Amino acid sequence: MLAPKRVKYRKQMKGRNRGKATKGNTVAFGKYGLMSLEAGWISNRQIEAARVALTRTMKRGGKVWIRIFPDKPLTKKPAETRMGKGKGNPEHWVAVVKPGRVMFEVEGVAEQLARRALQLAAAKLSVKTRFVMREAS
Amino acid sequence: MAQTNVLVAEKRTETGKGIARALRRGGEVPAVIYGHGREPEALKISRAELDRILAAAGASTVIELKLGGKKLKTLIREVQRHPTRLDVLHVDFLEIHAGEKLTVRAPIRLVGSPEGVRNQGGVLDQVLRDVEIRVLPRHLPESVELDVTDLTVGHSLHVSDIEIPNAEILDDPESTVCTVVPPRVEVEPVVVLEEEEEEALEPELIRKPRVEEEEEAAEAEPESGSPEQEG
Repeated sequence: MLAPKRVKYRKQMKGRNRGKATKGNTVAFGKYGLMSLEAGWISNRQIEAARVALTRTMKRGGKVWIRIFPDKPLTKKPAETRMGKGKGNPEHWVAVVKPGRVMFEVEGVAEQLARRALQLAAAKLSVKTRFVMREAS
Repeated sequence: MAQTNVLVAEKRTETGKGIARALRRGGEVPAVIYGHGREPEALKISRAELDRILAAAGASTVIELKLGGKKLKTLIREVQRHPTRLDVLHVDFLEIHAGEKLTVRAPIRLVGSPEGVRNQGGVLDQVLRDVEIRVLPRHLPESVELDVTDLTVGHSLHVSDIEIPNAEILDDPESTVCTVVPPRVEVEPVVVLEEEEEEALEPELIRKPRVEEEEEAAEAEPESGSPEQEG
């Protein structure tokens, strides 16, 4: 699963996720893409599940790009622990996603198969999505 | 010569985001025209007409702009879109002159099915989608065609393989345009041990924590501080 190799700090604050994606909001590598329509956190497990769904649906054909990276640690306190005593331990890694962000891209397959594959991948994610195509240049 | 599309534009005197938003609500799109030897001018265009043109036009499509009784030859320089709705927010037009060379990015269209895809199960990966060229408007190509029929797995075509009559290619000749990559091999899922997972969750810290240093400093301070207080 995707996770950073080295980080400067083990724990992060929650932060706020406002606005729309100003970067990474166009299909840049492949021909088809999956765009987020909501703001949210996508965990590395979800990214991996979506990637598996994509590659299985496309069988051996096509190429996949993952354009988000889970670089934000989420912490969790152990079960049955009283409040206080500091912040919990890092448990998950998530990617912070804003509306408009193109999260996955594919190329080398027919449009119908790409739609089906990205639809199945979208089912693994916790945000609403839209199938997008590269703009004619 | 590229295909010409006709678009009717109107001048607008009022600018700013309030006016732009009002235009968009009314089914129009704010635009601007600029070019060599002319002042930039604010315009407005019907959204329905613009969408029809944009469905077919690319960066190297000449668009004839009807503006106040004049017909201007233009290129679309930039299209701004809403990040999620994807509707057009603003368009930039560049006026072109017949005798003046243009620098544009012409789209590359790959023709044929590569040998490596047909018989070897490879995947065609197009790395470069457009190429920067310097050309007179009358020689402006709608797109640049590149034949990929003979391409086998592991081989690539480069910018140097592109031939455009009457145009100078400005991109690096060694840049890869497309390549046929070997088919992806599905990796068997590896059973991850819990210890490995723990390790993966705890990445290495770039800056080592200074806990030991601070403790040492804290221990050293009272010792050095006490004689001064006594004295």
